[in-house]
Amino acid sequence: MKQRSVVNILFLAPVVFTFIMIIIVPFSLGIYYSLTDWNGVSPNIHFVGFKNFSKLFNTPDFIHSFLITVGYTIINVILVNIVSFTLSLIVTSKVKFRNFYRAGFFVPYLIGGIVLGYIWQFIMNNILVSLGTTYGIEMLQSSFLSRPETVIWVMSVVNTWQFSGYIMLIYVAAIQSIPKSLMEAASVDGAGFVRNVFNILIPMMANAFTISLFLTLTNSFKQFDMNLTLTNGGPATRFMGVPVKASQLLAMNIFDTATANKMAEAQAKAVVLFVVLVVVSLIQVSNNKKKEVEM
Amino acid sequence: MKKKIAVVLFSVLLVTSVFAGGAQEAASSDKTTVKMFHLKVEIKDALDEYAAQYSAATPGVTVEVETLGGGADYGGALKAKAQAGDMPDIFQIEGLGGYNVWKDYIASMEGEPWVDDTDLEFVVDGTVYGFPVAIEGYGLAYNAEILAKAGIDPSTLTTRDAYEKAFKTLEAKKAELGIDAPVAMAASLAGGMWWVAAQHNLAVYWGGGLDFTDTSVIEDALKGKMDEARFTEYAKYVQLLFKYADQNILLNGSYDDQVGSFAQGKTAFLHQGNWVDPNMAQMGVTFKMGYAPHAFTNTPQTGLYLFAPSWYVVNAQSPRVEEAKAFLASMATTAEGHDYIVNKAGMIPAFKSVTLKPSGQLSQALMEANAKGGNYGVFFGMLPDGAGQNVFGPVYDLFAQNQNNLNQFISDMKAAIASLPTM
Repeated sequence: MKQRSVVNILFLAPVVFTFIMIIIVPFSLGIYYSLTDWNGVSPNIHFVGFKNFSKLFNTPDFIHSFLITVGYTIINVILVNIVSFTLSLIVTSKVKFRNFYRAGFFVPYLIGGIVLGYIWQFIMNNILVSLGTTYGIEMLQSSFLSRPETVIWVMSVVNTWQFSGYIMLIYVAAIQSIPKSLMEAASVDGAGFVRNVFNILIPMMANAFTISLFLTLTNSFKQFDMNLTLTNGGPATRFMGVPVKASQLLAMNIFDTATANKMAEAQAKAVVLFVVLVVVSLIQVSNNKKKEVEM
Repeated sequence: MKKKIAVVLFSVLLVTSVFAGGAQEAASSDKTTVKMFHLKVEIKDALDEYAAQYSAATPGVTVEVETLGGGADYGGALKAKAQAGDMPDIFQIEGLGGYNVWKDYIASMEGEPWVDDTDLEFVVDGTVYGFPVAIEGYGLAYNAEILAKAGIDPSTLTTRDAYEKAFKTLEAKKAELGIDAPVAMAASLAGGMWWVAAQHNLAVYWGGGLDFTDTSVIEDALKGKMDEARFTEYAKYVQLLFKYADQNILLNGSYDDQVGSFAQGKTAFLHQGNWVDPNMAQMGVTFKMGYAPHAFTNTPQTGLYLFAPSWYVVNAQSPRVEEAKAFLASMATTAEGHDYIVNKAGMIPAFKSVTLKPSGQLSQALMEANAKGGNYGVFFGMLPDGAGQNVFGPVYDLFAQNQNNLNQFISDMKAAIASLPTM
């Protein structure tokens, strides 16, 4: 018994060590720095308590970023899940070339967010605008990315285009694990397609919804790469009487603060993002778990 | 139990020693290596070549150049190097903001041979700290052929009214001249072009019409005060540039869109500095061009805006301070160094003793203006970090979207300036 514990420790040590070095230590340092006035370089670090945090709640650009991130997340969670669930129904039906579609819908997920942002920026700023000018369609003549009221929606559409193929795969796997006999029995009893979906499919794959909602939720909250390349935070809009960046999500707000050498303030924002994300996803997962059914 | 603790301790010891090992530098040899880390990616090849040439000519010293740029996060990379104990011997700062962050690492360059040969050295409290990389500068670049066709003499563009008249003429003759709009101006956050408006254009308010070293306007701003009369004049000029700009480029164009439109003759004016010369050469531009002043008042202004965009500084904590300084001095004082700056790197030298001439038309225009004098200083480097991108950038972007709302722009700017002392 004694020997086994030594072996256990030996095997665990590298992983535990790595975990401590790359997760626990940076994380604790991060929380520590959020309570200081560190600028990223200076060796003179002063402890300032919760000053960085209390300042955040008077900063219009941070509040704005926070609110639009929440809005963006809500839009995304709904849009991505509806689209990918619909896609998964299509590719598990008896439609021709369904394997081709499965691969096709998944491909956007393999394109990196940076590249994808640039591609869609080109489509929005150049292709659509020149179509609008050529054919005299006034709505298209200025880019959707230059209008503060549409920019979040454009980002959600692009994110849906990228992400729904991935979520679709989760749903497809869940649908395929449901015994065919259940659906057949229901059909014999006279249930139509819609009834089958709502009364059998959805309850039976509740665990897939738990995972998918969690993934879309956390991903939207932490969105950065596509935000940076597609909109770069622009255009400007007015919030609390101050010009702010209309599409600057929380992660990008943190990034912009950090690159302005306000490391401690950026760290405080990151801690807020972390806490909110943990609370929201815990609520979501525990709520969804209750709805799952065991076979 | 004892064994368990011993094992844990041993493994911790083992791995920490591995981690600690990473930070140590390789054993020293008799050859000194000066490490340089810079952010001007466009001069990478020229600088590599010059460093190799210098290393070959200087026994015992090798200069190694590392380049990072093209929008990459230079400050972040430098911080990572500092944390890793691998701080370069020569690095680059872009103004007072950078100096304040890195001042523990910046050595004095007082008494270097090039200091008396330039006006643009980086000085804090009377002590020289930075070697000017080049002169850059801007005015409103014009396409001389389009202006000639439209019957506009660029030398008359010295007041805001003259500009308004010229823009109106161009606007009226758009179809005839084959242009999309009179001006290629960019101000968008989305296109990453906030710096054209919020740094270079706003510099017109900070320094326009004043003495080359007169920083009174920006010093007031750093205390939160705006000169409302002066700013109103300036705001009308911004409004003029925005109104007659190609709107798609203004609202979400990228650098390529903006410069490309001027290079293709689709716009008559371009709000960019002499750094577009290589772009013009790449795109095979043959038309004549020059710089008109950013004359924002109706009192005539004729100067261009000249500045050193960045400075090389020497790492004060490095044991190779002297070697690093000698390398920089060679650029400023030797014929090879001058050849590198002007011919190879295509920059305008900040040193008066250099007699070579750059090849780009806009660079030549700046060099002429520099020789003639009466130019204006560019002081946006004195602003706190992030002020341009996070505070002024959105103000200009919003004004570009609502160009008729001049008063809103003025009051937004007033509030933005008032927030500077707390940044």
